[in-house]
Amino acid sequence: MTKGEVPNIVALEVLKKNGVNVDKLKELLTKGVGAEFTTYYYYTILRMHCTGLEGEGIKEIVEDARIEDRNHFEAMVPRLYELGGSLPRDIRKFADQAGCPDAYLPDNWEDINSILKVLLEAEQCAIRSWGEVCDMTAGKDPRTYDIAQRIMQEEVEHEAWFIELLSKRPSGHFRRKFAGQSPHTGSQGGLIHL
Amino acid sequence: MKDTIKEERYPVCKSAELADNTMRKITVDTIDLLVGRKNGKLFACDNFCPHKGASLSKGHFNGDNIVCYMHGYEYNLFTGKLEKMTSWKKEDTWVEQDAEWRKSGDLILYPISEEDGMIYVKKPG
Repeated sequence: MTKGEVPNIVALEVLKKNGVNVDKLKELLTKGVGAEFTTYYYYTILRMHCTGLEGEGIKEIVEDARIEDRNHFEAMVPRLYELGGSLPRDIRKFADQAGCPDAYLPDNWEDINSILKVLLEAEQCAIRSWGEVCDMTAGKDPRTYDIAQRIMQEEVEHEAWFIELLSKRPSGHFRRKFAGQSPHTGSQGGLIHL
Repeated sequence: MKDTIKEERYPVCKSAELADNTMRKITVDTIDLLVGRKNGKLFACDNFCPHKGASLSKGHFNGDNIVCYMHGYEYNLFTGKLEKMTSWKKEDTWVEQDAEWRKSGDLILYPISEEDGMIYVKKPG
């Protein structure tokens, strides 16, 4: 075999036989990890602006979501490459193709609720985005599905946190053991920093 | 002599099974299509939203448009044209998204026909 020549990949062959449109799947994964990466970046800014009596209490929750979103990027990117995909070489292109909007700091950031609304919008988009991957792979691609559903579980939890903070509805969760614990995706993608 | 036109088409369902103002997702050779009937007219398009790839079958009608459930973009089901780029801004104090992120192509349409009580769509590719 010559250098650069890729042999037949049975793991891909099986997916195609199962009816997976691998090109579309790679596109969705690239958009999904793009959204996680940009969210990690923008959550850093949002977190910095969680100050004051109310903001300080929310800062740690934003930090949990921020690190876990980075973990989602780490968890799914190896699978993207396994499938023959790759990250765009230019980070600007990577951000522009992301499946979810940039979670920009709102102009009235002194109002902590305004920041919470942006956080909630970002989590809800992520749920839709990974839901698409779950739908495409359920019963056909167990490896991608397993990672996507783990990410999805954490995104659903993040949504619940921000809804509870905004609406004060009763809450079933307790705080994470440490920032960015990722109880569902922590074992994925060789997250050596955990 | 081979009837290539008939060979290239895919049977969707019986005409009676596709009611007016409804749509459904079908898969032809791993490609997901959205087919439906709006005000008596049949349509078929790629189910993959040209903006960010969401399933258009999870959207809803707005006149002749399909509204994507992910970001609210609207595409005309009969021309394929992008009709509305919904803003991300839920509040005036939110900052609008970059133009590169917002841009979208048009919807890919496929020929669809009805014959002898059956609906057919031209196979993609």
